[in-house]
Amino acid sequence: MNSTIYKRKFPLIIFLVPAFLFMAVFLYYPFIMNIINSISNISDLGAPANGMNQPWYQNYIRMFEDPLMATAVKNTLILMGATIVFQVGTALLLALLVDRIRKGSQFFRTVYFFPIVISATALGLLFNLVFLYNGGMLNQLRAAFGAAQYIDWKGEAHFMFTMLAPVMWQYVGFYFVIIVTGLNNISTEVYEAAELDGACCLKRVRYITLPLLRNVLCTCLVLAVTGALKVFDLPWVMMGAGIPMDKSWLTGTYMYNQTFLRHDVDYSSAIAIVIVVLGVVISKIANTVFKEKDY
Amino acid sequence: MKKAISLLLAALMCVLFLSGCQGATITPENPQETQPAEPQKPADNEPEKGPVEIMVVTSYGGDDGNRANYEAAFRAYEAASGNIVKDASATSNEEWKARVMTDFQTGSEPDVLFYFNGVDSNALIEGGKVVSIDEIRAEYPEYASNMKDGMLGASPVDGKNYSVPVNGYWEGLYVNLKVLKDCGVAVPGPDYTWEQFLADCETIKSKGYTPIACSLQEVPHYWFEFCIYNHGSAANHGQLPETSSDEVGQKWAAGLNDIKTLYEKGYFPVNTLTATDPETFQLMADNQAAFAIDGSWKIGWFQANAADINDFTVVFVPGMGDRAATDIIGGLSMGYYITRKAWDDPVKREACVEFVMAMTTDEVVSTFGATAVTALKNGTTPPAETDALINAALAMTKGATGVVGAVQDSLNPNARGEMFSQIKNIVTGAVTAEEVIDSVLAIK
Repeated sequence: MNSTIYKRKFPLIIFLVPAFLFMAVFLYYPFIMNIINSISNISDLGAPANGMNQPWYQNYIRMFEDPLMATAVKNTLILMGATIVFQVGTALLLALLVDRIRKGSQFFRTVYFFPIVISATALGLLFNLVFLYNGGMLNQLRAAFGAAQYIDWKGEAHFMFTMLAPVMWQYVGFYFVIIVTGLNNISTEVYEAAELDGACCLKRVRYITLPLLRNVLCTCLVLAVTGALKVFDLPWVMMGAGIPMDKSWLTGTYMYNQTFLRHDVDYSSAIAIVIVVLGVVISKIANTVFKEKDY
Repeated sequence: MKKAISLLLAALMCVLFLSGCQGATITPENPQETQPAEPQKPADNEPEKGPVEIMVVTSYGGDDGNRANYEAAFRAYEAASGNIVKDASATSNEEWKARVMTDFQTGSEPDVLFYFNGVDSNALIEGGKVVSIDEIRAEYPEYASNMKDGMLGASPVDGKNYSVPVNGYWEGLYVNLKVLKDCGVAVPGPDYTWEQFLADCETIKSKGYTPIACSLQEVPHYWFEFCIYNHGSAANHGQLPETSSDEVGQKWAAGLNDIKTLYEKGYFPVNTLTATDPETFQLMADNQAAFAIDGSWKIGWFQANAADINDFTVVFVPGMGDRAATDIIGGLSMGYYITRKAWDDPVKREACVEFVMAMTTDEVVSTFGATAVTALKNGTTPPAETDALINAALAMTKGATGVVGAVQDSLNPNARGEMFSQIKNIVTGAVTAEEVIDSVLAIK
């Protein structure tokens, strides 16, 4: 029966057409237009292109000379690294701990997953209150413990922590749930056998849990790396236009700023192209490095 | 047969899917080529039409001081006309401007728009997206007849009037009287000088208060405007420099360096380079800061956030050189536009005209008070219910000896954005004022 269905390709094609059209209109067409825009001379948002740039690759040269673009790419790569270590790492640690407890594991799953369902904008506003200079939660706590001066959490000394901490915190629950599901799929018999052989807790994690979780972790890492490229809303709400002193730009926030605040449409289109290229290259590398294995 | 049905279903799905995309218009390369459709006038025997729904976008959103007045006015219009106003107003900022422009580009513009009449609206005029007042008056001669044509705010593109203004705006120095009293500093008067201001700031700082509430990283606009104004006069403030080294350029550089001096003296909040505008303004409400420059639209914020409105007043910004403190920034920078799309819609045309006329009557404009700057032929009537801040604003605008528009409005959005994003670098010495002026002027 299956073979009959898959031999007749025509109905499948018919039902794939609308989805393909959707992708063509809302993804491929805008992408092609974006490439054209990146080499065109567009004076303002809403204004028609006034011919091609001279030379046509002018925006791409400018990007290499733009120190803020370099900052944005550097910060995005730092965010990516932090995502691997703190999001997936913390999620793994929490999952291993929750997996060990018998009572209340459901409670912890809900608690850790909860930040995912809150909108990033709301979280941004919430963390703005936490890191606020005058009357913010952290500064008030420090004052309660006798600190004489407030800390400017968005200042040059602390901005990276202030920007990354909420992003890390928000997505830990997502990877936590995936890893917990992976842990549930590991047979208890394997652990029992290891216990009989005298393996202690850490050895069981090292020699049983981690190897058997490899594919799940690889999936998490690929998702984390590619997801880091798309982080925009939380940093934008918290750090706005590169606070402090243009040091906190990410590729996404910088592109948005160039488009909607500076109205530099052609340059921001070129940045968008670079983001796509960066995404494709990094996804390919991530897929190669974190390649899943068949056991 | 099955194939035919499958094909039919797929075609139907495609049609349904693509039908959502219709209605978008493309910005014409040459607006002259776009022939507006002739509106169809209703026949005498045509049955009476139901209420018309019009989409209106204004900047009377958020904490705008005139939000309540705007709402009352359009509700009164709804009640009188039976029409429905779909209000999509928001607070005016660069993102709001971008959204308005994007709406026009994608063909989802509103029917009536309250927007800037300077260079910000050039794309709308050049694209033929809004209707001129002359064209409207050809059919509705009474349109904007209560306004002085010379003050409507002609477009820089062709010198024609397109928008009908409501209330004029002004920019002034908001003062926290409680902080000043605690510091033993007198309330600035009309002859307040920059030197006196610097001395007062020093006194206020020595008492542990923040002299100036301002986020230099986000909204340095007002200090930029007045610091430059202080090196010129009402007669030449509107001039743009050609380079940083010409006379106007040097004036701009001197003004920017004044901001740097204020920063170096520690008169701005400690976190002025990382704080947002609401954060720094909160210092005013919390009685921690003494001065802030902002516009007439900020009155609503004080009314909503001040524990006691009598603790606040608004006065002239300190003057220097040829600029007297009583020379203010102000004017009629915004007005109601009727979009071409609504004008060409026979159902909406009259409703939009009636709406704009209803929103710009002498009575309605007078409720938007707190300013004596108006285009009304008969002038405004002072509002019946006022508070100390509104009274101070009325007194200030009545006492103004010179009113000029903000020179920053003559810069294109990209150049303006570059200027304001670089002020933090100027005050910290990362770049010089001259370098920034030249880089801004290079942006065409």
